[in-house]
Amino acid sequence: MIEDELLKWKFKSGSKDALQRIYEKYRDYLLTLAMALVNDASLAEDIVHDVFVTFAQSSDTFKLRGSLKGYLATCAVNRCRDQIRASKRQPLSLDEDIPMKSVFNLPDTRMISDEQSRQIADAMAQLPYEQREVIALHLNAAMKLRHIARLQNVPASTIKGRYQYGLQKLRSALNGRL
Amino acid sequence: MRPADQIENIIKKMSFKAGPEMDKDLWAKTSKARNEFNKTILAPSQHNIGRIIMRSPITKLAIAAVVIIACLIGVSLWRTTGSGIALADVLARIEKIKAFRYKWSMKMTSEDPNKPYNFEGCATELISQEYGSITKSGEPGPNGGESTFEEHYFSPQKKTRIDIWHKQKRYSKAELDDVHVEQIQKSSNNRGDPLAYLKEIVERKYKSLGRATIDGNEVEVFQTTDPNYPTVGFKNPQVDVRIWVDVKTRLPVRYEQKLTEQTGDGNRFSQQIVMYDFQWDVPVDAAEFEPPIPDGYTVTVIKLPPNNEETAIQGLKQCVELFGKYPERITDVYQRVKLLLSEPRGDTLPAERLQEEIKGLTEDEIKNKLLMPIRGLERFGCRLKWDNKDPAYYGKTVTPKDADKVLARWKVSDSEYRVIYGDLHAETVTKEKLAELEKALPK
Repeated sequence: MIEDELLKWKFKSGSKDALQRIYEKYRDYLLTLAMALVNDASLAEDIVHDVFVTFAQSSDTFKLRGSLKGYLATCAVNRCRDQIRASKRQPLSLDEDIPMKSVFNLPDTRMISDEQSRQIADAMAQLPYEQREVIALHLNAAMKLRHIARLQNVPASTIKGRYQYGLQKLRSALNGRL
Repeated sequence: MRPADQIENIIKKMSFKAGPEMDKDLWAKTSKARNEFNKTILAPSQHNIGRIIMRSPITKLAIAAVVIIACLIGVSLWRTTGSGIALADVLARIEKIKAFRYKWSMKMTSEDPNKPYNFEGCATELISQEYGSITKSGEPGPNGGESTFEEHYFSPQKKTRIDIWHKQKRYSKAELDDVHVEQIQKSSNNRGDPLAYLKEIVERKYKSLGRATIDGNEVEVFQTTDPNYPTVGFKNPQVDVRIWVDVKTRLPVRYEQKLTEQTGDGNRFSQQIVMYDFQWDVPVDAAEFEPPIPDGYTVTVIKLPPNNEETAIQGLKQCVELFGKYPERITDVYQRVKLLLSEPRGDTLPAERLQEEIKGLTEDEIKNKLLMPIRGLERFGCRLKWDNKDPAYYGKTVTPKDADKVLARWKVSDSEYRVIYGDLHAETVTKEKLAELEKALPK
């Protein structure tokens, strides 16, 4: 916690070392969160890339309050939502996140994970997005349900419902496979 | 079927890591973005504008600490210590001083062997009631010297702020309006938000530790160890704040603040701020407040628009002119447009339009004419949010043709809201009228 406060502070002071530390500290965390939400290695990489690029350019506007981890997770979630929305719409508009050109042809070899993680991500991909987001934020991003409710702008009871329903479906989907 | 907690644990264990190649690419692009950002515009946000002499967070702490001194020496505890020094008298003396200089240093250390951390910073400050302020911050040099990597000059007379970044060999000049200047002065004169924080500090109990000698001068030392002393980034730290006051001049000569925190794993984290070399009532020359810009430094001139409704409307107009529609969100619209400029995708309409618009323009023209209204729009949106004005924005569904639909709104009083409509006319409406208007918005 204190380290994050200092990192935020140093980052705002223009320290590249702080940016690198933030990147190293939260890269895999964001990658896992993005995978839980989009289950697409290439897209997840783009999302994490996008979060860090925007973050790197935000030292003058970045607010020095609240949790850095939560802030980055929220950025990633917003981008995931945008990407999912964008995939349903064409053409690209100003308001969608601007996907960076992917130079990667073999995204799967670029990301390291075990078989179990891939199976979980596959199972989560079968859930409606709202349920997936609640589960990923709560279990993978360690966000409290009431914070998720605030983020999604819905009552806490709805979030609890989404969480329970989602978990139930995952339990059935993963039963016997792991 | 697995028990709930088991399935939760399984999901928690899901892990994806970047391979070396991905890691290399991700960091390269993040780092590149950072470098490019540093080369281009780095104007202060509205938040920072309000704290001009606190541009650097380090400076912010230092200034806060100076204010702490001022407050500690008297705002609420007008009493003598039995030694003859009344702290309120010290404060009154400081208030009469036209200009003063001081130095400060800060150290932060973590004893955690797994996360060792050391930070050292230092700065010199010159504060003048007449000419403004100068902050030169950097880090301690190897032989007791100091290396300066940032300089900040604020002139209320000229209504400018100039920031110099030596490492990047660049500087920026911000032209301020009266509102910006007032905001800065408010924060630097203890009347802004730091005041509430610092008032709390001066209400703490303190005691005299008796007399001592510094540089041959007799001083009296005061100390507070109140655990409720407000701190930044610390949780229940051990507090030791001391101030040395010259018995003859009744002015501070040294200030020390030491905070120590015991972390959960038994390690200690500490921060020490020392202010020293105070020179009170020094003569200052206007020329000193002229920033010495070294040759070869690149400049960015920043003409910040006023942070008001008119600016926001200009920004919305600019978005329509550039992209044919309103942005879906305004709190990050400038960042997005900048991203669109740096990573243009030729096959999209916004990028095409933007590329067309910037043809033949200089970098300054792009930043100050083309993008500044959008920057102003983003700042206005962020400010409303920070100020808890209950803002809402409906650019996703409202178009420039929707003269009767609410595009944006924010609270101006308990019963009234200001509304900007789709055709960009604005009016103040009651809470009830707003509810009707918002009911009619497309889902």
